[in-house]
Amino acid sequence: MSTKPDVIRKCLWPACLVGLLITGVLSLDCNLLHFHLRKVTWQNLRLLSSMSNSFPVECLREIKAFELPQEILSHTQPVKRYIVEAFYEMSIQAFNIFSQYTFKSTWENDYLKQIQIGLDQQLQYAERCLEEEEKEEDDSKEMEEDGINHSEATVPQLSNLELRRYFNRIDNFLKEKKYSHCAWEIIRVEIRRCFYYYFQKFAPLLRKK
Amino acid sequence: MVWNQNASLVRPQNLYLVVCISFVFGVSSAFPDLSDKFCTFKVTFRNFRLILSWELKNHSVVPDRYTLRYTVISRPDQVKIVEHCSNTTASSCDLTDVWEVLPETYSIRVDGFRGNTTLVQCSSYLFLVTHMSLEPPEFDIVGFTDHINVLVKFPPVIPKILGGGVLKFYLSLIIEEQSGNIVKKHNPELNENITGNFTYVIDKLLPNTNYCVSVYFKPRNLGAVHRSPVKCILLQPGQETESSESAKIGGIITMFVIAAVIVITIIILKRVGYICLRNHFPKVLNFYNFSTWVFPEMPPLETVAFVEVIHVNRKKKVWDYNYDDESDSNDDTATPQTNAGGYTMHGLVGRLLGPASASSATPEDCMEPDAEEPDPSEPDTDIDTEPLVPSGPSPGQSEGTSGAYECRGKQLQDPITEEDSWSTGGSGDKITFNVNLSSVFMRVLDDDLEVPPGLPSFPEETYNLQESHRLETSSLAANGEGTQPLFPTPSAECQWPEDVLSDESDSSESDVDIGDGYIMR
Repeated sequence: MSTKPDVIRKCLWPACLVGLLITGVLSLDCNLLHFHLRKVTWQNLRLLSSMSNSFPVECLREIKAFELPQEILSHTQPVKRYIVEAFYEMSIQAFNIFSQYTFKSTWENDYLKQIQIGLDQQLQYAERCLEEEEKEEDDSKEMEEDGINHSEATVPQLSNLELRRYFNRIDNFLKEKKYSHCAWEIIRVEIRRCFYYYFQKFAPLLRKK
Repeated sequence: MVWNQNASLVRPQNLYLVVCISFVFGVSSAFPDLSDKFCTFKVTFRNFRLILSWELKNHSVVPDRYTLRYTVISRPDQVKIVEHCSNTTASSCDLTDVWEVLPETYSIRVDGFRGNTTLVQCSSYLFLVTHMSLEPPEFDIVGFTDHINVLVKFPPVIPKILGGGVLKFYLSLIIEEQSGNIVKKHNPELNENITGNFTYVIDKLLPNTNYCVSVYFKPRNLGAVHRSPVKCILLQPGQETESSESAKIGGIITMFVIAAVIVITIIILKRVGYICLRNHFPKVLNFYNFSTWVFPEMPPLETVAFVEVIHVNRKKKVWDYNYDDESDSNDDTATPQTNAGGYTMHGLVGRLLGPASASSATPEDCMEPDAEEPDPSEPDTDIDTEPLVPSGPSPGQSEGTSGAYECRGKQLQDPITEEDSWSTGGSGDKITFNVNLSSVFMRVLDDDLEVPPGLPSFPEETYNLQESHRLETSSLAANGEGTQPLFPTPSAECQWPEDVLSDESDSSESDVDIGDGYIMR
């Protein structure tokens, strides 16, 4: 009589794992970039918001404008590749910054680890999608002239440089403030703002595609 | 929380620094930052208006005026005062046109005054993306027969903070339709530059059914959902439905009235006698024995013996005053002929009984024919009207005539009963054969034909004089016309005068002038 619950129990865990695996596989599909971007963005926003529910008033005087790049995407084709590159650049820069977080609170460490794990997954996803994009471009390179390819190659570098400069400013701020509490609070808020800002910009472009 | 854990150690030093710095920068911050203990802040979108509201936790402290200040964390600007929310008595402030960037983090502070005394200072910081609460929009519903129009009220101008595709991609408008336990959700597509009221049609609904509608925003950050108050409406049957139903009912009633009038009229006419209706249906409409009608019973197989009576025309002999032997008469007799069917054909020479013939042929036991016996001078008509096989009273016949034929039958009984088959032999003046008259089809040949076509082969049957006579009388009654008085029906009492046939064949030949019809049974 108790065979049914036992069977359900035995099958429940494998089913859940399979479901998570499928979800994970589907979410890593580069054709579902929009859904993956939205999922990752909201996940990071929740984690970064959970690390601190308030902003110390005393830190207001240490605020600095990091000049988030407003236009980092080239309006030439293909849009998806540039979005993936920008997404990759943001992920790797944020991962490097949070790797320097040395606050020793247990509560903070748990959230920090979750953020780092999430950023690492984003990096892997972006790398895989970029490899696919490069393969597609290699196939089409034989049909195009060299001049056009050269001009297309310069545009991504410019957009990625702006992002790199932005995150360099953040890193320099941390070093300047000697990784103080207020500096970390200000960086946490700034990176959270960066993630949502570009999600708000990328999402309409991906939906149109 | 991190800063709470370290605040106990850092607070006295930071408080001194804050006080000093605030004096340096001109920031009036007389009280430490303890706002979390006194106030609860809430940011909501109410009718697409960004409303910041606060509530004091300690209700015993009731300021009469509030002043709101804020700072954008990503911008190192000074603290800004919201002018329309300065010295306000309301515990809320409309910041729709103040805060225009959604992903920003705002540091806010509310000072509560009573007179010139600051009773409370509440501080907090808000990241609108995660802290914003979306109240449902206002809407109206208009019910029709089978659909509901939902009118969602959007502002003529969408606030800047919801621009840039935020409303479309961040928020999802849900229209819930509920009827009983069935709940359906509709997700209408919103334009990026949606302005004015938005009408959505919920169609394919059941008339005369109660539906409840609710509208709300569903944020994509899986935040809390705030449903609007439910608005219910009962769909009434429309005028079109009512008119069609009434038309149908009227048509049905009219048809019944017309049918009733027709039936009553027919009944009245029948009773009056103006029309006569048959009470008995014809046999073809009698479905009583439907199976019999569909699968008619095959008539019992009966042996049909076809008899073809060949009329042999003989030339009328004119006595040439030659007294030679009468062997010629033998030539005139019908000699039996055989055909391929195995029948022996005998030519019957029928004659009508005239007054002379009747007297000569009638034995003592037979009845005398009446005066209505046919005249030999009119052989055609006599033959038509005096069937050879009487079958009872019929038009044109009389009992006397039938009696004469009956007499003929009687005279034949003896020789016939002794034989049960066709006799091909016999004397030259005598022809005897057995025929089952109940299944005899007799045909009188034309004058041109002496030999009939091949007859079908049928088994020979014994002729029963008595039974056949009864059958003949009953069957030939209905076939008075066209019957050929060729074959007499002898009865058991009388005997056919043997000499009558041969002696009177001459006269009977000329008298026999019969048509082409069969005597059908």
